[in-house]
Amino acid sequence: MAIRGGRPAARAGRPPATAYRLSWRILDALEAVAARWPARAEGAVKWLLLAPALAVVGLLVFGLVVMADASLRVMDFRTYQLGEDYSTANYVRLFGWGAFHATLWRSLVATLLVTLFCLLLAFPYAYALTRTASARLRRVLLVGLFLPFFVGQVVRAYGWLVILGQQGLVNQALGLVGLGPYRLLFSYPTVLFGLVQYMLPFAVLMLAPALAAIPEEIERAAASCGASRGRTLLRVVLPMARPGLIAAALVVATLTLTDFAMPAILGGGTNDFLANLVHDQFFRTSNAGLGSAIALVLTLLGTTVAGLLLAAAGVGALGLRGAR
Amino acid sequence: MRQLPLAGGVALALLLLLAAPSLVVAGASLTAGGIVQFPPEGLSLRWYGRVLEAREVRDAFLRSLEVATVCTALAVPSGTLAAIALARWRFRAALAIQLYLLLPFTVPLIGSGIGLMLLFGELGLLGRVWPVGIACCVINLPFMIWAVAASVNALDPELERAAASCGAGPVQTFLLVTLPAVAPGILAGALVMFVLALNEFLVSLLLVDARTVTLPVQIYTQIRAVITPDLAAVSTVYVLVAAAAVLLLDRLVGLEIFLRSR
Repeated sequence: MAIRGGRPAARAGRPPATAYRLSWRILDALEAVAARWPARAEGAVKWLLLAPALAVVGLLVFGLVVMADASLRVMDFRTYQLGEDYSTANYVRLFGWGAFHATLWRSLVATLLVTLFCLLLAFPYAYALTRTASARLRRVLLVGLFLPFFVGQVVRAYGWLVILGQQGLVNQALGLVGLGPYRLLFSYPTVLFGLVQYMLPFAVLMLAPALAAIPEEIERAAASCGASRGRTLLRVVLPMARPGLIAAALVVATLTLTDFAMPAILGGGTNDFLANLVHDQFFRTSNAGLGSAIALVLTLLGTTVAGLLLAAAGVGALGLRGAR
Repeated sequence: MRQLPLAGGVALALLLLLAAPSLVVAGASLTAGGIVQFPPEGLSLRWYGRVLEAREVRDAFLRSLEVATVCTALAVPSGTLAAIALARWRFRAALAIQLYLLLPFTVPLIGSGIGLMLLFGELGLLGRVWPVGIACCVINLPFMIWAVAASVNALDPELERAAASCGAGPVQTFLLVTLPAVAPGILAGALVMFVLALNEFLVSLLLVDARTVTLPVQIYTQIRAVITPDLAAVSTVYVLVAAAAVLLLDRLVGLEIFLRSR
């Protein structure tokens, strides 16, 4: 105080400025408690900090265990209870079930096509995003990626219903030139279209860091060595962007394979994917056993693909570099 | 733009494609007519008034707010502490812990959703609103950890050591140095968790019953029945919330960090 105190007289009537504040007392008390912590249990602190998160994810693990358990029991349709005994009957039934095969096939073909189209479209978007000299364009392109992510799938699918419906935007426009109306909704291509639009931001966000990591000088070097733009793209940029392309493909593939909302809303019940089949088993047929079996197969499929992604990209995906 | 004619052109066309559903929903909600169409037939806010009167929609919105609040309240402490622990201490099984904490991302939503539905069913928690919030926290927790971890990694450990050498105890250092330094990451994570829980559809659909529908489920059920402009008004609320979230996130951490290579 003496250093700053140009007006010591003004403070005369007040308590001394060095009074011990309440917040300090609280902190001291906390420190005292912390000091009581036995030195031997020093290592337990980090586990205590980690415990809540481990418990939260533990719910998911517990859920999967309950699901696996249910998938091994057969539904008794006289009592609507799962049987007491374990059996693989649900899985056996799955592999001989025509509807399952058709749905699996439909989901897999969609996964392949959506992944292909997403990569094709995400590449120029990510390229423009990372290479543009205009900060404003970059910002606009970034906001365009994040906005749909936060808008949510149902609202976006609803937007497509308004655009593609019988009296939707597209059919109104076609009507002006004397065409249509066409039945655009509730078809397989529409579901694929909705999925591509939904997955595009994920693909761009996985691809962009990989493209950003390629120095522009390398492209200029290729050009100065006489490579055309196309040749530079094919021989230099694409091979260097491969990790990003693989990551984008795997993310899009897992999300597409296991999607529910787009087939349900844009497919109108006739273009179901595996997740819709699971939902129907629980809420329409009330067969929790068979539903659990499909869900488990789907979980294993999805987790395998995602595991490949982690192996390829490293656990750095969580952004944790560990202690330094 | 001049250097990137093709990529730039494609990107702008895709931008339009990405924005189209949101723009059309917002436009359709302003119609004065009785059916959903775009461009709207005359401008009016009457469908917003209709939404405020519609009890079902209003209740569903309040339930979604409760879900998002529960989710964020659970995610902030658990995610923050875990991120700090993982970034500041060395764990023997670090790889296994990280893979475990990433499970919510590697297990498909339909799998986690059905699993949690069966688990909550056994625990007698179905048909209530707050367990949906817990489920949303479970499936999105890696986002929270990720956001905080980015801040912790950017924090120079020397700062904490300096605090300690100035006589601050561990609690004081944690509360007055570490936490304020990672606050932007915590806020960004909380924001993401809140908005994603507000939007969560599939897991909500599996966990709710007719009395506890959340707003995304309400929208889903209504578009399957009949499409009316009041639904466009509700959806526009989501678009506005999303826009606010993106702007806030940009302020807090800057969207450009997503372009940085890891």
